[in-house]
Parts: sequence; structure tokens; C-alpha cells
Amino acid sequence: MENTIKVERAILNLTQDELAKKIGVSRQTINSIEANRYVPSTVLALKLSQLFKKPVNDFFKLNADDY
Amino acid sequence: MNTEKLINCERKNFQKLIKFRLPHGFMTVGIAIVVLSIIGMCVRAFALEGDLLWLKQLLQKTLLVGMLVMSMSKDKVEDEMTITLRAQSYAIAFVVGVIYALVMPYVEYGVSNVVHSGGEAFKDLGDFQVLLFMLMIQLLFYHNLKRFR
Repeated sequence: MENTIKVERAILNLTQDELAKKIGVSRQTINSIEANRYVPSTVLALKLSQLFKKPVNDFFKLNADDY
Repeated sequence: MNTEKLINCERKNFQKLIKFRLPHGFMTVGIAIVVLSIIGMCVRAFALEGDLLWLKQLLQKTLLVGMLVMSMSKDKVEDEMTITLRAQSYAIAFVVGVIYALVMPYVEYGVSNVVHSGGEAFKDLGDFQVLLFMLMIQLLFYHNLKRFR
């Protein structure tokens, strides 16, 4: 799975730490998600969706390996 | 109370049990217990006279309790990723621990026979050795998984 959280975060002008605090996770977790090393749970994805005011599909995309 | 309510109640209690973690402050308590136990073991081995088997066993138990407290205490920032990493570290520790318990007695037996002709008699590992190894593997893997996340 790929994501554009880094871009969305930049649009809102947030640091990794600020974003982490807003959704109640650690900065390292945000870093891992952005680097595609960790796939977040639905709850976390929906929290991000709420914060970015965009549907989850806009910033999380399935890639060829997921099929 | 009908059956559905009873099942829900049991499920809730089970979830509570699964999610149980000690507060982050207990990490320091665990480390203190481990350090004191190791110091006690050194003192018993090098400074005290006599066999003091009871003290040895007591210190082994306190060492295990300390490591268990460390293993069960929460992180500063506990989130879903740390929960996943902890679960992975427990799974790895379990598998490695079983392999260790199965293989290590043969390694010890083989090495002792190579080093000393005649060597030691074959003996299984004690519970302390296996539990200590599993807790060490869990703590090390959890630390490493967090480092490389």
C-alpha cells in the first residue's frame, strides 16, 4: 500500500510530531506510515481522513503487490 | 442474565485481560528489580560464604519478576504500532524459546563432551534458564523492532 500522507501533512503545514499528537500516536509511527513500513488500522486511517478532510482513498492507494 | 449478556460480559473481561499493561513508570521499577537482583547474585557468588541455595533461588525469581514487569509495562507513547510490535516480539520469543529448550541441552551435552573427555551427563534445561532466555529475547526483539520501525 502506498500513501501520500507526507503531502497531506505538508498542505496542512504540520510536522510529523504535530500530526502524531493530533491523532494520538508517536512520531515514529507517523514516520513508519509515511515510509510505507507500517499499514495503519482503520481507526487511525479514519482519524487521518477526518484531519485531512478527505476520504481515505485519496491518500491511501493499493499497489500491485496487494492484489 | 440471558446467554447473550453473559457472553458479552465474558468477552469484555477477556479483552480487559488481553489489553492489561502496567503504567510506564513500572519500567523503572522493573529495571531497578533486575539491577538489584544481578547485584545480589554477584554478592552471593563472590562475597558471601556458604552455598546459600535459598538466596540463589530467591534472586533468580526476583530477576524473572523484574524482567516480567519490564516486559509488561507500557511505552511512553503507547499506540497501535507499539502494540503490534510487542505482539510480534512475544511471538518471536515463544518460537525461539521453544527451539532453545529443544536444542540447547544437546549443544551443552556435545560441547561438554568435546571439551572434557567423558563430559557431563545429558540434562534438560531448568525453568529459570528457559524463562530468562524467553524474556531476554522478548525485550531485545521489542527494543530492536522499535529501533528499526
